[in-house]
This record gives sequence, C-alpha cells and structure tokens, in this order.
Amino acid sequence: MLFQTATANTSGYMIAGFVVSFVVMGLYVASLYLRSRNLQRDRETLEELDAAQRKTVTK
Amino acid sequence: MQSKPLTLTILDVLSIIVLGISTYLALFFAPTERVMGEVQRVFYFHIGTAWTALMGFILAAVFSVAYLVTKNLKWDRYQVAAIEVSLVFFFLTIVLGSIWARPVWNTWWTWDPRLTTAAVTELIYIAYFMLRQGIDDPERRARFGAVYALIGGLSAPITFFAIRLFRTIHPVVIGGANPEAEGGFAMTADMRVAFFFALFAFTVIFVDLYWNRIRLGELQDEVEQLKLKVTM
Repeated sequence: MLFQTATANTSGYMIAGFVVSFVVMGLYVASLYLRSRNLQRDRETLEELDAAQRKTVTK
Repeated sequence: MQSKPLTLTILDVLSIIVLGISTYLALFFAPTERVMGEVQRVFYFHIGTAWTALMGFILAAVFSVAYLVTKNLKWDRYQVAAIEVSLVFFFLTIVLGSIWARPVWNTWWTWDPRLTTAAVTELIYIAYFMLRQGIDDPERRARFGAVYALIGGLSAPITFFAIRLFRTIHPVVIGGANPEAEGGFAMTADMRVAFFFALFAFTVIFVDLYWNRIRLGELQDEVEQLKLKVTM
C-alpha cells in the first residue's frame, strides 16, 4: 500500500476525446447531408433547363 | 440517384445503435485503467477508427487496381468514397492519440515512427483530394487518382508495422509487448469486450458512411453529366 501509485485524474482528457469524436463524426455526417441536398437541387435545376432547351428545339 | 434503399436506412439506424453501445461500453462497462486513469477509455475509439481507416486505405488501393484494369468509373467512385471516409476516421485516430498522449507521455506530439508515419499517411490522402481538384477531365482524374491511391496505399501497412519494425514508444496492442513502449497495459476481460465491440461498431459505421458516400458520388456524376448535356 505504501508504494502504490494513485490513479491519475485524466477525466478532462477523456471527455475532450469523446467530444471531439462525436463532433468530427457529426460534422462529417452533416457535410454528407448538405452536399447531397445541394446536388439534388442542382440536378432539379439542370433537368428543368434541359427540358426547356428541348422545348425550344422542337418549336 | 435512386431513392435510399431500405438496407441502407437500417444500416444508418444500426450505426447509431452500435455507436451508443460502444460509447457505453467504453465509458461505463470497461474498468478504469489503474495508471493512466480515465483517459485510457479513448483507446477504444482510437483503435476502432484506426483499424477501419487503414482498411479503407487498402481497399482504395484495391479499387485503384480494379479501375486501372477495367477503366470503369464505378471503381473510381468506390475509391474516392473509401479514401474520404478513411481520412475522417484517421484524423480522429490521430487527434485521439494526441489527447491520450498528453497526460501519458506528457506531450501532445512527438516524432515517433508510428506518429510520423500516421501523419504522413493523413497528408498523403489530403494531397490526393488536392490532386483530383486540379484535374477537370473525369477519366484523366480517375487514372491519376488510381495511380496515386495505389502508391499511397503502401503507407497503410507501413503505419501499421511501424511499431513492430522500429524502436518506438507507442504501445503494441495486438501481437506482443514492446519493451520501449510507454502507456501499454494488459487488457482485462471487460476491456476486451469494449475493445472488440468498438472494432465491430466502427466497422459498421464505416460501411454505412462508405455506402452513403458512394451514393453521393453517383449523384455528383449524374449532375456532371447533366451539366455537360445542358451546356452542349
């Protein structure tokens, strides 16, 4: 008991580690969602443009 | 891009569940390590992310070969997806390692062989995306990307074996003890449960994110094709 070392208090680092993990993963998921949403909007706009161009050609 | 498959929706939900269970096991189920204290709990996520990221980089190298042989752009999409998700996971590995190192090694960073090879690997794949950004022609971009990812893929096994080949202070978790290591520990049965579950959980999360990223790549290609059609 005399030479037993006390366990270091490293809770702050542990909390920081888990917070960083969730923040990074959350940001990546958000980036996937936002990029997908923007691309879907682009696709809709381009499809409308394409349809409008076809109409002009047939006229 | 087709509507989201049911399997992927199930995988999304499963990923959240396994991440929750893995967090519970790491925080509450696994015992506190006697010397390092609570910070040792980040080890479960550190290894989980490292394992999946390194596998992802190797997978990307395999897809590079598939692209170079077949010239099918599908393999390029798979490769980009694998590298992007792996890059995020490997960034987490490095940050978690650094957070762990501060109280255990008394420094945030040291130019140890393992840390150096890990940093080089991360930089190689950041440069991969910079290279792709600079090339407009999709086939040329895919060809350059494939060759780069194939050579870059060598960095994954080098990083993995760095602690086994060189003198390093980084602990070896699997495959024997390193006498030079600082911060190594023997896992108890409960720690092993948390450890192996974290490996499983991060594999599931990786597959889920990877699949979602492939779908994003398909949508990107579709939009690029439409842009070409409209501007012609």
